[in-house]
Amino acid sequence: MTDSSLDNFSTESMEKPTSPARQTWKMFSSNQSAVAGLILLAIVLIFSLVGPLVYPVAPTEMVWMPLTPPLESDYLLGTDYLGRDILAGLINGGRITIAIGASAALLTIVIGVTIGALSGYYGGWVDNLLMRVTEFFQVLPNLLLAMVVVMLFSATLTNIAIAIGIVSWTSTARLTRAEFLRLRNMDYVRAERSIGAKNRRIIWAVILPNAAPPLIVSAALSIGTAILFEAGLAFLGLSDPNNMSWGRMIGDNRPYILDSWWGVTFPGIAIFLTVLAISLVGDGLNDALNPKLRKR
Amino acid sequence: MVKSLSKRIGNAVILLLAVLVLNFTLIHIAPGDPVEVLAGEMGGATPELLAELHADFGLDQPFHIQLFTYLGNVLHGNLGHSFYYDKPVTELILDRMGATLLLVITALLFALLVGTALGVASAQKRNSLLSNLVTILSLAGFSAPVFWIGIMLILLLSVAVPIFPIAGMATADEPEGTFAYIFDVAQHLVLPVLTLASIYLAFYSRLSRASMLEVLESDYIRTARAKGLSRFLVVYKHALRNAVLPVVTFAGLQFAQVISGAVLVETVFAWPGLGTLAFESILRRDSPTLLGILFFSAVLVLIVNIVVDIAYRVIDPRISAK
Amino acid sequence: MQAPLLSVRDLEVSFQIGGEEVPVVRDLSFDVEYGETLGIVGESGCGKSMTALAIMGLVPNPPGRISKGNILLEGVDITKASEKELQSLRGNDVSMVFQEPMTSLNPVFTVGEQIAETARTHFGLSRKEARNKAIEILRLVGIPSPEKRVDDYPHQLSGGMRQRVMIAISLICEPKLLIADEPTTALDVTVQAQIFDLFRELQEKTKTAIILITHDIGVVAEMADRVMVMYAGRNIENGPATDFIRAPQHPYTRGLISCIPTLQADPPDDPDALFEIPGVVPSAVELAKPGCAFAPRCQNVMDRCRVEFPPSAQIENNRSVSCWLAQEETV
Repeated sequence: MTDSSLDNFSTESMEKPTSPARQTWKMFSSNQSAVAGLILLAIVLIFSLVGPLVYPVAPTEMVWMPLTPPLESDYLLGTDYLGRDILAGLINGGRITIAIGASAALLTIVIGVTIGALSGYYGGWVDNLLMRVTEFFQVLPNLLLAMVVVMLFSATLTNIAIAIGIVSWTSTARLTRAEFLRLRNMDYVRAERSIGAKNRRIIWAVILPNAAPPLIVSAALSIGTAILFEAGLAFLGLSDPNNMSWGRMIGDNRPYILDSWWGVTFPGIAIFLTVLAISLVGDGLNDALNPKLRKR
Repeated sequence: MVKSLSKRIGNAVILLLAVLVLNFTLIHIAPGDPVEVLAGEMGGATPELLAELHADFGLDQPFHIQLFTYLGNVLHGNLGHSFYYDKPVTELILDRMGATLLLVITALLFALLVGTALGVASAQKRNSLLSNLVTILSLAGFSAPVFWIGIMLILLLSVAVPIFPIAGMATADEPEGTFAYIFDVAQHLVLPVLTLASIYLAFYSRLSRASMLEVLESDYIRTARAKGLSRFLVVYKHALRNAVLPVVTFAGLQFAQVISGAVLVETVFAWPGLGTLAFESILRRDSPTLLGILFFSAVLVLIVNIVVDIAYRVIDPRISAK
Repeated sequence: MQAPLLSVRDLEVSFQIGGEEVPVVRDLSFDVEYGETLGIVGESGCGKSMTALAIMGLVPNPPGRISKGNILLEGVDITKASEKELQSLRGNDVSMVFQEPMTSLNPVFTVGEQIAETARTHFGLSRKEARNKAIEILRLVGIPSPEKRVDDYPHQLSGGMRQRVMIAISLICEPKLLIADEPTTALDVTVQAQIFDLFRELQEKTKTAIILITHDIGVVAEMADRVMVMYAGRNIENGPATDFIRAPQHPYTRGLISCIPTLQADPPDDPDALFEIPGVVPSAVELAKPGCAFAPRCQNVMDRCRVEFPPSAQIENNRSVSCWLAQEETV
């Protein structure tokens, strides 16, 4: 609608100005699905962090008859083909899964933001070079590359997290670059430059805080992506043999699905609920941090 | 158009060289002797073979000479030798390629067509049942691991209600006749395609819905309505063609991820393609094969990107003008 | 006397805003005779574009809708017509040229196709006939070498050329009424003059009635037979264009006309000589209040203005004005 009469409607509310963090929380908490996501996420975290204290069954040891169905023994969710307790696997695997997911996401964000920021801020040949590198990583199927890295360097928790981090940063880099391109010529950035601020200060202390909202959302969502990624690697057999994880449980039990549906179903539900919670929270953050996008 | 196409091809060649350099570097920085890495750790290689490999790769030569030897080998179609299968890697890959292409292309087309149709239909009526369904589906598709969706489909549609075969690409004793064979493969194809498409189906329906909603509010749609065109022409002629542009862009960008997904889906359904080969090469610690698959999938991704680029130019006349 | 081509009665268009239904056009009545040009003048946001969309049956719904009144085009009530009936009217009996030539054409189809499909839809022409007709109309709207341009995409044409294409689209079915919503606002001044010349020329040939929506008094003075001034969704003054320029009645209209800078050989030294109406266009919240919406900005405001909206008063040949001042003078 051009020349719309709506342009002139004043819809500003007369509320007192509040701090940005409080405003964000206010918008976030008024979003039902985001709050549901947050509660779900809290449950998952309590389950896998406090769980081992309440339910001290070792996840990697044989505790009962193999392939016992749920509700037919003391082991509520049944046992797998080696007689390992599924519930203990879920509790302890959750800790590992979330730890790998979070640290891989952190690495993703650090690499992505650094490359995107330098690329967007300096432009020119720096941008050209870094965008070529980004393009290169986009051309490689990231799961295959991570498989190669983990196989060649052995499957330890650290290696897995690093492998996920170095194959997943491209979209964060593009997002950061776009934000920096948009912000680098803003008046306040020019003002900083005119009083002789160093590039390093302008990038990290001036532009980055202003580019933060979409990056925070992207960081939240990349935890979910990293969890799915870890599950995929573990399913293919690339997991730390000393630690249980949800993906590994599915991979281990897959050959026995005809005898035990529970061995693959419960860990999958755990992954699904966790990633779902993270995406709901991420979407909620997105709406709360970018009110302009709320229309849709 | 020809100029920009040749530029893209040149770019693709540079990227492929970079993939080879990466492969080469990975072999060398991985723990252990490169020859051991190449021979795999399954102990299949005899001392004579190791010595031969040493000479083949010129491992006594300086690093850059080794690199050129490696690049030269690849240019001659030699991606290395799989010791587990005792076959050239190139041959292994070419054998398995057809199955992967069949799966990936069918799944992608299915996701694109059905996803766009769902998205466009749900954009017509916001907050309708269909529209909410698309939102829920896309959240679910994004949150569940693709291989787990596959396993659940097997449990539901092959085990509990046996409609589709559990695994493989064809029945062991092949049925007589071409038609029967095609039908057999099609039956085996259903579940893997549904699984692989599930992630992208949800994504494309959400993307095309958002894109359609935006396009429907644009000035030229108002013009089309002001001309007195029917609702059908306004939506399916004027709006759709503009609304699919971002979908096409993403289909190209995401192709590498579709291949990643195919690795998992093939493994679940024992689909005899490159993904299963990759999975097996992890089990056998068969690095030359895995590295070869990595290189080969980069080739596929680049070809698909060029095809998508051409498709985009056909749909949007503004691009070719630039 | 012949019935008017278009007759708008008590039109009200409302928008759903934050749970409340707010009228953006109110109590609007006016006629358009066959072949005449009516200028609708007002500041942006006064409801003139929404009036145009209402006549086209294109009020964006939701959030908007026609909440009251009738729009009769040759006796057919547009407010009650079905979507099918509206489709056969649009582009055929009544068509519209929009403000933004840069975005009003579909970027992925040739201009020829966009013109021709209108003719195919309404006249059932074949592809070839429609294409020939498109070339013919492109020539009529003054596009050079139309048989080549017909295969161009919008991005290959300048803004002025695109607006000519829009005019071609709107004229191909020889409508009885053409609505032009600020058709030159987005264009260069020289191109503006060409477009208006084109409108005049085409009107002589086709005898199409035109509703010309603008905020430019100069354009109205030059183009229109009659003028309607809108303020805050209402018709506040209506009359022949010459009278309107010579002796504006409503304080707002007087303000508008004083705002036009005049070319003087010897400009006054006073830098404030350019007149300006104080204040801004009222918001929807203020609109909901009783009384005259212009009161807060009016120099002649009286107590009565703040509580009661003045009814439309007839003054001399076919003029009407909604102002207590005029009311008192006539009484």
